Amino acid sequence: MSDASVEGVDAMGMTIGTYLPPWGTSDGRVLGYDEDALTMAVEAARLVVDAGAAVSRVVFVSRELPLLEGGNTAPLLAALRLPDTLEVVEQIGGAPAVLDALMSAAPSTLVVAVDAVAPAGAAAALIGARNPLTFAGRAQRSLPQRTRLADGHSYRDDDPRLMRESGVRTSLAAAQLAEKPLVMAGASARDAAAWSAAGAPTLPTLGASSTLFALAALVDSSRSGLVAAIEQAALSAATFAAAGSTVRRHERTPQKAVVRKRSPGGDIKLSLAAYDRAFKSKVGWQAGQCTSCGLMSIPPRFHCLGCGADDQWTLAALPRTGTVYTTTTIHVPVPSLESPYTLAVVECDGTDVRSLMHVTDVPPGRVAIGAHGRLVLRRVAMRTGVPDYGHAFSPDPAASLTAAGGAT
Amino acid sequence: MRRVAIVGAGMTSFGEHFSRGIKELIPMALGEALASVDKGMDRRDIGAAWLGEVGTTDGFGAGILADSCGLLDIPVTRTENACATGQDIIRQAIYAIASGYVDVVAAVGADKVRDTSSSSTFWDWMAQTRDMAWDFPLGLLAPANFALHASRYLHEAPATREHMAMIAVKNHFHGVKNPKAQLRNEITVEQVLKAPLVAEPFGMFDCTPQSDGAATVLLVAEEHVARYTDRPVWVLGFGLGIDRVMHQHKRDMTSFTCTVKAAKAAYAMAGLGPRDIDFAEVHDCFTAVELISYEDLGFAERFCAHKLVEARDHYVGGRIPINPSGGLKSKGHPPGATGVAQCVEIFEQLRGQSHNQIDGARVGLAHNIGGPTAASGITILGKSRP
Repeated sequence: MSDASVEGVDAMGMTIGTYLPPWGTSDGRVLGYDEDALTMAVEAARLVVDAGAAVSRVVFVSRELPLLEGGNTAPLLAALRLPDTLEVVEQIGGAPAVLDALMSAAPSTLVVAVDAVAPAGAAAALIGARNPLTFAGRAQRSLPQRTRLADGHSYRDDDPRLMRESGVRTSLAAAQLAEKPLVMAGASARDAAAWSAAGAPTLPTLGASSTLFALAALVDSSRSGLVAAIEQAALSAATFAAAGSTVRRHERTPQKAVVRKRSPGGDIKLSLAAYDRAFKSKVGWQAGQCTSCGLMSIPPRFHCLGCGADDQWTLAALPRTGTVYTTTTIHVPVPSLESPYTLAVVECDGTDVRSLMHVTDVPPGRVAIGAHGRLVLRRVAMRTGVPDYGHAFSPDPAASLTAAGGAT
Repeated sequence: MRRVAIVGAGMTSFGEHFSRGIKELIPMALGEALASVDKGMDRRDIGAAWLGEVGTTDGFGAGILADSCGLLDIPVTRTENACATGQDIIRQAIYAIASGYVDVVAAVGADKVRDTSSSSTFWDWMAQTRDMAWDFPLGLLAPANFALHASRYLHEAPATREHMAMIAVKNHFHGVKNPKAQLRNEITVEQVLKAPLVAEPFGMFDCTPQSDGAATVLLVAEEHVARYTDRPVWVLGFGLGIDRVMHQHKRDMTSFTCTVKAAKAAYAMAGLGPRDIDFAEVHDCFTAVELISYEDLGFAERFCAHKLVEARDHYVGGRIPINPSGGLKSKGHPPGATGVAQCVEIFEQLRGQSHNQIDGARVGLAHNIGGPTAASGITILGKSRP
């Protein structure tokens, strides 16, 4: 992750952020138990948005949108601290859809692409003043060897030879590309190697995000040229000019996924009214700040304990880094939760504001008092069909971790 | 303000009363308390009653007490103040008597934890006791509540998990002698340390069992005491302390602020200090809670509670015996009954009739802490009229 100064519409090219969950193997990442397409979208997009760049429009592409009847866009904008007046396009799509969305995007558009099934990953791009992609070809063809239906059922009829011949080869021909692409997002490693120019990068995902992982690889190696994105037999291609684009990666070394036991016990109850009251503070990580004396409280409160003012507060963004004040790991089964899990009281950097949250991204019981880390959006719980998003503590890779089994 | 004394006290055994419901346990405890009154007491003498009940087993608690005990013509109120409920109903009974409105009050604590499944009790209760948006979905179980304090305490103080284990060992040792106790077996430090983890740093043997039970004390205004007994136990002081609800708002988690507040009030009212306390029943829902409470109650200097443990000062026969009844750890913990049962033990100790008698005991202190470590109740009882 580069520490470049403010990027945005003044920049040429695009700023790309990439995120891989810390679980799985180098062959493919899997989601943490508290992640979904939305939390991964936020992880990737924060890499390009946190620097303060202006965003005029958001396109969120995934085949695993958490909610199909609305409810994804508000947490996405809130967690990214973007205005809730922005247009957000929620799009179901894979690698070609993302390439299409990128090449047609106006400056300052944020395109976020997420794969929430293994191999999992997410990437986001903020388009600069000059879009570095230009259309090079397309073939909308159908060879649905894998299907996923609206009722959730999926079917597979894998025939790699058929896909190679009647899918990839035929679509590449139909798109009438001038040459072999430098990289082919969405294709299996074998197909990508067979149909790309020499030196094509290996990509960590196969779906929507793979297009941006492909562009990121080209930026990192300063290569410009033809890029193809394929999903089964559907193909899009574009010419990419790498100069002027930057990449910020949040891709930690993968670790073996922790086996957690989910205990039966029905859904965790939810009060939607309470959810709604807490939403902006919890998802946007904002304290209530007293307009009279400046005291910050999370959750926000009616009566200020600093000066006694009633109902005189506004929301103020809290730092999304902090230090563990105390912690415990729960080992016993808890109905509807996955044990073991670690809780921590975390003090936000530069404030005296603390909050209780889950510890994420490391095995349970490994974080020590004093550990420093980031506060990241996670799906804290599923509650009667509602993903309950909030912030969790992700220790820095260098943070003091204890040996397994000791919180103290 | 009138002085108040306890003239009778009784309790059911604590344990898994699968064959008895709350409607049997409550009258059992009241009946035993009435039977303990030296010169006898007719239940029609009772002018008001409080039920301390944290859960709502079988429904409407005040009505259940009135109905099951035949106390249908007096005011009855159910009070819930988390695990400080027991001391809190005694406090309310004292208010009622001292103010002059009532002469005799029955303070009955009861809970039926094992009418819920052992695997879901904490969770079922949690749904009613946590902030629905912020805390509940995190799975902040009761043991985790206290474990967050214990982790920080062990981080700052020289105490270790071994010191915590020694508290469990001591309370089991005391409880063996208590016929009303739930777990009447001795355990070793090694057993405690090797037990399966519940919420670090608590293993299973750092935790109280889940219990059913009821307990009653009968409180009387000073001018009526002689009608009932010549050896009453007097209320010397009491206090109720409240702290911030959410753990993130407690600045120093090496101490229970609510206990410090309750102790300050109770000591001030009694005109006594920690050194005047001969023995205490201290809320040991988890071992470290008893350890930290030694400091909050003034029995040990800050971060020196482990020294009291190492010197075995907390055993019967030691400088300040703690939990001669076996404590919550051995005796059991039906939350509403717990605090009342502590006062049953103190009543018996001060009258020289305990199963685990402390020689020369004249002043005893009962302590509860509960909820998200946000409520503490303390009662100080004495042999001599204040």
